Amino acid sequence: MRPSPRALVPVLLCAALAAGCRSHEGDARGAQRLVLRYQPLGPDPAPFRALVAAFERESGVEVELQALPNAADLAHQLLVTSLGAGGEDVDVLVLDVVWVAELARAGWLADLSDAFPPARVREEFLAGPAGAVVQGGRTYAVPWYVDVGLLYYRTDLVPEPPRTYAALAAAIRAAQAEAPGIAGYLWQGRQYEGLSCNFFEALWGYGGTALDGERLRLDSPAAREALDHLRGLVADGLSPRSVVTAAEEDARRAFQEGRAVFMRNWPYAWPLLQDPASPVRGRVGVASLPGAEGPAPGALGGWQLGISSRAPAARRAAAARLVAHLTSPDANAVLAIAYGRNPARRASYEDPRIRAAAPFIAALLPRVEAARARPVTPYYMLAGDALQGELSAAVSGLRSPAEALARAQAQADAIAGVAR
Amino acid sequence: MSPRSAWTIALPYLAFFLLPLGWLALTSFWPDAELARPLPSHLTLENHAAALSGGGLARAVLNSLLVSGATAALALALAAPAAFAVARLGVRGGRALLGGALAISMFPPIATAAPLYTALRAARLLDTLPGLVAPYTSFSVPLALWLLTGTFRALPVELYRAARVDGCTPLGAFRRVLLPLAAPGLATAGLLVFVFAWNELLYAVTFLTSPSRRTVPVALALFGGEFRDPFVVLAAASTLATAPVVAIAVLFQRRVVAGLTAGAVKG
Amino acid sequence: MGAALVAPAGAALALVALGPLLATAWLSLRHRVPVLGEDHFVGLSNYRALAHDARFLGALANTAYFTAVAVGLELLLALPLALALHHAGRGRGALRAAVLVPWILPTVVAAKLWALLLQPDLGLLARLWPDGAGAVLTRPRLALHAAIFVDVWKTTPFVALLLLAGLQAIPEDLARAARVDGASALRVFRSITLPLLRPALLLALLFRSLDAFRVFDVVFVLTEGGPGHTTEPLSLYAYRTLLRAGSFGLGAAISLVTFLGVVAIGLAWLSALGERSPGEAPP
Repeated sequence: MRPSPRALVPVLLCAALAAGCRSHEGDARGAQRLVLRYQPLGPDPAPFRALVAAFERESGVEVELQALPNAADLAHQLLVTSLGAGGEDVDVLVLDVVWVAELARAGWLADLSDAFPPARVREEFLAGPAGAVVQGGRTYAVPWYVDVGLLYYRTDLVPEPPRTYAALAAAIRAAQAEAPGIAGYLWQGRQYEGLSCNFFEALWGYGGTALDGERLRLDSPAAREALDHLRGLVADGLSPRSVVTAAEEDARRAFQEGRAVFMRNWPYAWPLLQDPASPVRGRVGVASLPGAEGPAPGALGGWQLGISSRAPAARRAAAARLVAHLTSPDANAVLAIAYGRNPARRASYEDPRIRAAAPFIAALLPRVEAARARPVTPYYMLAGDALQGELSAAVSGLRSPAEALARAQAQADAIAGVAR
Repeated sequence: MSPRSAWTIALPYLAFFLLPLGWLALTSFWPDAELARPLPSHLTLENHAAALSGGGLARAVLNSLLVSGATAALALALAAPAAFAVARLGVRGGRALLGGALAISMFPPIATAAPLYTALRAARLLDTLPGLVAPYTSFSVPLALWLLTGTFRALPVELYRAARVDGCTPLGAFRRVLLPLAAPGLATAGLLVFVFAWNELLYAVTFLTSPSRRTVPVALALFGGEFRDPFVVLAAASTLATAPVVAIAVLFQRRVVAGLTAGAVKG
Repeated sequence: MGAALVAPAGAALALVALGPLLATAWLSLRHRVPVLGEDHFVGLSNYRALAHDARFLGALANTAYFTAVAVGLELLLALPLALALHHAGRGRGALRAAVLVPWILPTVVAAKLWALLLQPDLGLLARLWPDGAGAVLTRPRLALHAAIFVDVWKTTPFVALLLLAGLQAIPEDLARAARVDGASALRVFRSITLPLLRPALLLALLFRSLDAFRVFDVVFVLTEGGPGHTTEPLSLYAYRTLLRAGSFGLGAAISLVTFLGVVAIGLAWLSALGERSPGEAPP
């Protein structure tokens, strides 16, 4: 066939595409090069880039930043895809607090105990994240920043933050008598990981735990009380029906518009609620979440830095230095001041820079100290999926809490049983 | 049907399709803090500025145009001869090819992402645009194949016979007579494939890692924060990113209409 | 000669698409949970587990319902639209482009737009109609319909474009001759346009039902499968099982069942409509 101009179009396009590629060999000759996969911390990348650039200058190691979408499931997928494929694509990984146990067990995380001895990690970092990254006496990741579930309340409608569920209900009734039509308590009841956090907080609020060795224990009296409580909030009108589809931003936007008395949310909501354009500015307080008999721990969230076990030894040493740099007290300060992330280091809450520029964060120390991790077990990610569906079914009234938990337990046991 | 009654029918559709889009466009001018209100107190260009800051979006639009254009061109180049052969040359197994192609292309993308990732890495195509074009093309060939087979079958068989009698080889008849007449079908198939590639997220986010090679859906996915979902910025970014495609579609439609008229004259 | 023309397309398919299919089929016969270091052959036990899995059966029902209702509505709505686009005369290029925009808009953005409009409490629809459309996402039995609605909004233009391609292939003079013979417009439509449009309708039906059977983005953005899995389609179940739970064997089995469902739908349409391949004259 005589080549016609039209037939050349695909060829030219291919050439144009190929011109845009470069070899993916890495740089064998000179400087070392590390790949860091992370989720963007905020709209302005500059402070984080400066932090990384400082490391590049000091160490002579080049760092390639690969941004991931801020969707935990998608990030988990990409990690499992590239680590599962056995390649050396990534050196430093950003890990959700509930992934560490799983990925460590899979053998995908390098043992960092030499560079970060477990005793030192426990001493310098908050108890929650330290417990998540130290598995079986070895360190598999280093806490980067933390998050914790908090109770937000309207100071103009509620004189004192409630310490118990009964006091919460009473405060809602009282506030609604004063401001008719206002919603009571907003939380996250959508079928996703946020609902699990809300559930575990209620479980701890009733004095329960969800872990029995490595086994997830979901069908306990405390768990039934916790789920009855969450369902009751919706059924009794203490929470609007919309919480069964709500994630963090749904709750935050409604609360910020002054449409509710209470909200459960993470610390990120605070600066937004205090924005000059916010209708509730200056009328919001923060407290520990209530429990059955007294304040309950908030769920621990946040991210850790780990190193891929597939990274060659030479790169691993440089990667450990990068992790140390990014989790240093200085880095904690940058993350807190530029991005509103809560330090994972205990001492950072006393850091004068943070106390001056981010007093709200500095004041969170008691809450982050009390924060509790969701069950630290390799089976959490596997069973968590089944749990979310059953929690959602109970909260939306499809099934009784007892039945939902029995089903979740059966599925969790099936997963762990098959695996053993 | 008269043009007047055609427009009468089209109007409710226009309202149905465009009103929500108008809302999207309006949202892109909305101050983020006021998204929960029925109407904004003022309009702002901050969201567009945020969407464009860093230049990532413009680069992503360019990448997406390249990838989608290459995918459409390749898919047509592969599918048109095959469709012609199935429709006119009575290729044995043509039906099996059509059916098989359809079945393969309908495999859930999520199941193919991991094996493709491994294959692309072996071929050193990971994190390259051609590495994205290859699977896109292969998954869109079936649609083009089906559409074009129909197009070629619909062209009067006498045209093909006449061309052959006039001394054309089958290939010559295909290139000089049938292909120009199939222009509307090619344009439609090309547009459909283009939009498929334009919208694809899962492969793009899995196979591309460098910021300079992101496509539009990946760039849009990166606007989200850990908890915050800045919909107003997303609205601004998606209206900005969609505009070039709409422009292309308009130009494309002109071509289609021109092709149609040309076909009518010749036919 | 013909084989040489077909070969490149066949090769492209086999190379990129067939490999993953076979890999997945093999994987579905294994119990593989990489994060637990588990990987062994289990035969058909993944499939046996699915047969008793209430979540899987629910996902299958959701997917089938979504496909039937969404595709039915899309075809019903697209046919008049395609006719209008075909006959619009002046300005039809602009009309077509305008109608296409929902389909060009990335699915995630379209779904987020509707999620915002449909958000209980704060969404526009909730303000206009608090206990009706505004509350649809909170109702387990209704939430799937919101996903269907968004899919119809987004994909009807695609179907209309496919049908338009079919209309353009119908020779003008046929209809003109019939009109001259005194046939009414409706009659021309029923006895000439519709039969000749059959291949295009079949194509649209085929592609849309196969595509709808794999629905993912819309549901993921609107509900993530909730409340209580009532809106979860097969592809989302497969996604969660593969990537969140990391259970590759079971996830592969779900994907393969989805795939077999897709093949079954395709075969059913092809045989029910007595059509063997596109473009052939109806019997």
